[in-house]
Amino acid sequence: MIENDNKLTPIIELNGITKEYCAKATFFSKGYTSVMALDNINLAIQKGDIFGLVGQSGSGKTTLGRLLLKLESPTKGIMKFNGKSINDLKGKGLKTYRSKVQMIFQDPYQSLNPHLSIAETILEPLIVNKIGDHNSRKEKAIETLDTVGLTPGKEYYDRYPHQLSGGQRQRVAIARAIVLDPEFIVADEPTSMLDATIAIQLFKLLQQIKEKYNMTFFFITHNLAAAKYLCNKIAVIHNGIIVENGPSDQVIQHPEHPYTKQLIQAQPKLNF
Amino acid sequence: MAKNHYLERFQKGWKIFILNPLGKTGIILLIIFMLMAISSFFIPLLDPMYDPMTGIDPLIKESMPPSFQHWLGTDNVGRDLFAQLMEGAKVAFIVGLASAFVSIVLGTIIGMISGYVGGITDRILMRAADIIMIMPSLVVLLILASLFGQFNIWIIVFIIAIMRWPAVSRVIRSQALSLKSRPFIEASKVAGASDIRIIFRHILPNVLPLAFLYMTFRVTSAILVEAALSFLGFGDPSQVSWGMMLQWVWKSGHMFQAPYWLLPPGICISLLTLSFYLLGRAMDEVLDPRLRKEEERK
Repeated sequence: MIENDNKLTPIIELNGITKEYCAKATFFSKGYTSVMALDNINLAIQKGDIFGLVGQSGSGKTTLGRLLLKLESPTKGIMKFNGKSINDLKGKGLKTYRSKVQMIFQDPYQSLNPHLSIAETILEPLIVNKIGDHNSRKEKAIETLDTVGLTPGKEYYDRYPHQLSGGQRQRVAIARAIVLDPEFIVADEPTSMLDATIAIQLFKLLQQIKEKYNMTFFFITHNLAAAKYLCNKIAVIHNGIIVENGPSDQVIQHPEHPYTKQLIQAQPKLNF
Repeated sequence: MAKNHYLERFQKGWKIFILNPLGKTGIILLIIFMLMAISSFFIPLLDPMYDPMTGIDPLIKESMPPSFQHWLGTDNVGRDLFAQLMEGAKVAFIVGLASAFVSIVLGTIIGMISGYVGGITDRILMRAADIIMIMPSLVVLLILASLFGQFNIWIIVFIIAIMRWPAVSRVIRSQALSLKSRPFIEASKVAGASDIRIIFRHILPNVLPLAFLYMTFRVTSAILVEAALSFLGFGDPSQVSWGMMLQWVWKSGHMFQAPYWLLPPGICISLLTLSFYLLGRAMDEVLDPRLRKEEERK
């Protein structure tokens, strides 16, 4: 029965989401020009999915990720989290929502404050959400560092970002995202700044985390191969419009939209 | 461990700083003036005759050139000029550092809030900053002094600080603006951090070096304003300062008769402001790697 319920209410539901950026009228130019970043997006993400959003630069995929985190608000449309609207969240409600939804950012060199130690970075979500006391927080942070593969966690605890490599930094960013045990994580091209071998390691890590904690991932990428490797469902976005949406095997093997076909053809094929 | 991180950064910066000829000169000058300021506490203890304000040599009736008893001579009532010069160093440090500190604290906090919050808050704060910035601080101080009579030294310090925060806040604001859109600020927002936490925990450590840099330039201008005010006769009359010494030379008509009285405070004002300026220039190079010479870059 409960299983059924979960199937019925998706963890994230987007209905007719539209985001328009407009340049305001200035002294020299009357009227305004607007850019449609997202146009009537309808998506449903089920609990336990790794949902891939594939698109080229400027297609609006990062904007969609930021909307989900409430870093920006949609011009039109309704966003629902576990069946409840999150459009007008403010103050305490927003804080509770954000403790359940976290983000992994694209550039690990920009997403960690250079003046804070790894410990301070990971402890911050726990401190601002007033979870646990000094000792239990420390334990939790070290445990999370172990989980993301920075073992032993104690050794990394007191280091600073500039002492870590790009891959290690991204692991710290992942640790910060999962330390609150969120239900839903938006990963915005987490491997685009890292080299391929590190990227594969991180994909494996994300899969482990997903299985261990039963988290739902929203994986934003420009790389169809990465999406195929990691995701069970894929949506393809082009110029702010979702052109294809379905289980990943179906999208890759039987693409319907010409843009998806184009994307598949653009993948480099390596024959050794 | 957290301390180590700052220590490490400090040591790295210090190495670049001390290798810089500007920084070296500035530090040496500054140490000399610090010793002067410290010695001002001990000179009056030797003999009450050497108190810079109230000590009068009973044998002297007029301004005397340097002698064994009075190394820089005396003023027209028989007070020791060397003691006054040391006392002036102390006052210059107090005025310079205190007013620079207050204006930096004000400017940094207002700049961070203005840049981070944006919108109408930003507009109000920056217009206020513009209004204060275009006011000539010396003229304003003169008007206030002539309206309310002679100010005590701390009020002068405070007014100079109030007049000097806008330039700092503009610089800090532009830094905060660029920091605001950096992913680590958004990451902290997503984690649920409040605006106050973001401002003081994430933005402040990143703008602090710049604030210190501006502090050295503020010290220079505060010392100059205080000296000018005192020379014009609007300083604190109960407090010896270099500007006050110049005012006494002028008022007692010894301008061209007593170079031993006129020159030392003038030279000291120039050299102390120079030393803070040099410190600022050298710090600028520490903070901005583009200014460094090739071989120093690492």
